[in-house]
Amino acid sequence: MKTLDAADEASALEDLHALGCTDGLPVVVPTPDRVDRMVLASGMDPDGVLGELGPLGGVATVGVVAANAVMAGCLPDHLPVVLAAVRAVAQPPFDLGEMQSTTHCTAPLVIVHGPVVESCGIAGGFGALGPGHRANASIGRALRLCMINIGGARPGVSDMALLGHPGKFTYCLGEDPALSPWEPMHVDWGYRSDQSAVTVVGAEPPHSTLFVGDADDPGSADRLLDTLAAVIANVGSNNAHFRGGVVTVVLNPDHAAVLAEAGMDRAKVREVLAERATNPRSAIAALNPAFAGDGDPDDPIRAVPDPADLLVLVAGGPGLYSVVMPSWAAGPHRNPAVHEPVDLDQACAVPWAQ
Amino acid sequence: MRDGIELARRGRPAVALVTEEFWEQGHFVASSTGMPDVPRIELPHPVAGTGEAAMRKVAEELAGSMVAALRGTA
Repeated sequence: MKTLDAADEASALEDLHALGCTDGLPVVVPTPDRVDRMVLASGMDPDGVLGELGPLGGVATVGVVAANAVMAGCLPDHLPVVLAAVRAVAQPPFDLGEMQSTTHCTAPLVIVHGPVVESCGIAGGFGALGPGHRANASIGRALRLCMINIGGARPGVSDMALLGHPGKFTYCLGEDPALSPWEPMHVDWGYRSDQSAVTVVGAEPPHSTLFVGDADDPGSADRLLDTLAAVIANVGSNNAHFRGGVVTVVLNPDHAAVLAEAGMDRAKVREVLAERATNPRSAIAALNPAFAGDGDPDDPIRAVPDPADLLVLVAGGPGLYSVVMPSWAAGPHRNPAVHEPVDLDQACAVPWAQ
Repeated sequence: MRDGIELARRGRPAVALVTEEFWEQGHFVASSTGMPDVPRIELPHPVAGTGEAAMRKVAEELAGSMVAALRGTA
């Protein structure tokens, strides 16, 4: 890790901007003292290697990630979550180098599970993906800064997203078990609900999905599933064309309750959505014939053939809108979700704000 | 909330019905529009979509307080 000299914080900030080390917004200047204390709080070896981040192939060590976490505005308590997220995107199946280089608009969505959600104050309710939540903003931003400074992403040079999306600044939320009728999502990965973990998946921005329930209508849950399936199968999406990639469905608590009251668990919801999120082959052929394949024009073509490729979680405020996040659906591993435990055993408290 | 405020501004009896999830926002809107004391009643959340029987129950439980608010006797 290189140390720069600067006359004061203001000039250090300008130097960091000039070097392309920021996301364009002001950062907390990562002075050696701040970085040292961040590392100290993690209880880990600063030279410990978390993985390599593409496309540059830079080595993500605890120390360098801590420097980026300082820049992002993280508190020491946030660092174990950032370290887990970095380990997650460094997993070869995540295809970070390819994802950073694609022309598609995709960004790693960090979903945090378990007790660390509450202890770090990671929001999962109203506006969890919007401004105003420090932990969400800082943790997601820290991952992005790592992708810039360790992974080497630079717009138009190595990050070739044609337009990008606002979630490329930060894209992080917590899974609040109080909002959900089901077990936390990471239990599906084999974790206990009292363990902390992160799931990371490359995702487009949220696509809003309107549904008005009616408890007097026995078909209410079916209508909700049809509505979600229609947005998942959006015929202009990569998923509809490439028939794969993980699609994330974030149900608001009211919508989740409609499905739970209809007797559905998460697995059933995923199964039904995968079945119903289809387009006739002719619809794809009409738009992009090269992706239609051969067969009957009426064949139902699934956007997400495998129910396991549908992430379903509950977040946001209660109301009329849930969201669907389609995905890039490409790369050698087809845009999978990855997960990592959050290691809290090593962490300790250190003085921070001065 | 804003409908209730607009009616109250025009001198019409009004009471805003606000579900518990939006109660704090109701206070914020009332204060930010300079009418912090505009009448409002808290409803459970959700009301929409809960079915006719559930909505009737809410109406029966709260009709008295709505009328009192409109009469200014709450």
